[in-house]
Amino acid sequence: MQKFQEFVTIAPWTIIFTWINLIILVLIMKKLLFKPVAKMLEQREEEVSSMYQKAEEAQKSAQSLETEYTQKLTGAKEEAARIMKEATREAALRGEEIVAEAQQKASSLITKAQKEIEREKNAAVSEIKSDIASIAVSVAEKVIEKDINESDYERLVEEFINSRGDNA
Amino acid sequence: MNVSVTGPRIIFNIPILGGIPVTETIVNGWIVMAIITLVCFILGRNLSVRNPSKRQIVAEKLYAMLSSLVSDTMGKHNMFFLPYIGALFSYSILSSLSGLVGLRAPTGDLNTTIGFALVAFFLIQFYNIKNKGVLGWLKGFTEPVVFLTPLNIISEIANPISMAFRHFGNIASGIVITTLIYGALSALSKTLLGWIPILGSIPFFQAGIPAFLSIYFDVFTSFLQAYIISMLTMVYVGSANEA
Repeated sequence: MQKFQEFVTIAPWTIIFTWINLIILVLIMKKLLFKPVAKMLEQREEEVSSMYQKAEEAQKSAQSLETEYTQKLTGAKEEAARIMKEATREAALRGEEIVAEAQQKASSLITKAQKEIEREKNAAVSEIKSDIASIAVSVAEKVIEKDINESDYERLVEEFINSRGDNA
Repeated sequence: MNVSVTGPRIIFNIPILGGIPVTETIVNGWIVMAIITLVCFILGRNLSVRNPSKRQIVAEKLYAMLSSLVSDTMGKHNMFFLPYIGALFSYSILSSLSGLVGLRAPTGDLNTTIGFALVAFFLIQFYNIKNKGVLGWLKGFTEPVVFLTPLNIISEIANPISMAFRHFGNIASGIVITTLIYGALSALSKTLLGWIPILGSIPFFQAGIPAFLSIYFDVFTSFLQAYIISMLTMVYVGSANEA
């Protein structure tokens, strides 16, 4: 059966079939192409925006870290300078202290030595005095052969020495 | 020689409701739908967010072009028309191009293009009634002055008719011209080469020459008409459903 429709004619069933075809095609294209692509594009957009967010956050944290480290570094430098200064000051102080102590010690030693010398000298003087006295007594005894009172002798010797001064 | 241009062949009848004729238009439409389904299946498969394949880049590009066209013409609030415009455009263009492989183009049948145009027509009326109310819709025909009412009604009805006939006429004329050219070239080869014993029965001129004419009458026109019918649908429906 080779039947043809007219070249220009209205065939309602063909119109209806066209509509059905279009509806089915809309559903197929929506399901197979438009929805998957739209979903993928949405996901991509989300991913991109989240990436941007992450990048911004990373940048922010990097900046804050940088400031923090800079601050810490400055603090450390200041601290080092402070410690250095303190140490220098302390060392100087300690040095002065040591020097002062040494000087004090030296001066006390000198004083002590002087005192010792004085004491020795006095002792020597008094020893010599007594030696001279006894020598004088024995000499006088021998000379005048007379036993004089020892206390008188000592007085005489004292007078003698004192009259000679402290030159001995 | 006889050259006859007919309408679509009736392939079979569905024996209900007094016999529903299934014509070449409908069967070729199904072939076109099958091709579109296959292409959509291939393009829309295994989409990945990162490192898209070449296939996916094509899918994305198509989607981006179509969606920007729809959103520019109809507005963002009408983006749900995207699948319909996509279906209309692809159905129209592949139907028209199917003429190149020897099928009778479904869009070369007035009823297909009337189908397209009536969808647009009904959508326009639906959105006018929905947005203005029945009275506002009816009142719209009396504007700007009452005596223009008949003209307004005519222009409203002329819209789908002009859309349908424009598309049909362009593709059908392609069919007619192609048929005529084949007939003419066959006659030409018979006249010029007919005296050669065996070679004379081969219509040499039919090879090659029609292909160049096809570039205009089928390829160019197919793209143009698919674009026009989609564009007109978008413009009319978009203006009926303004934000």
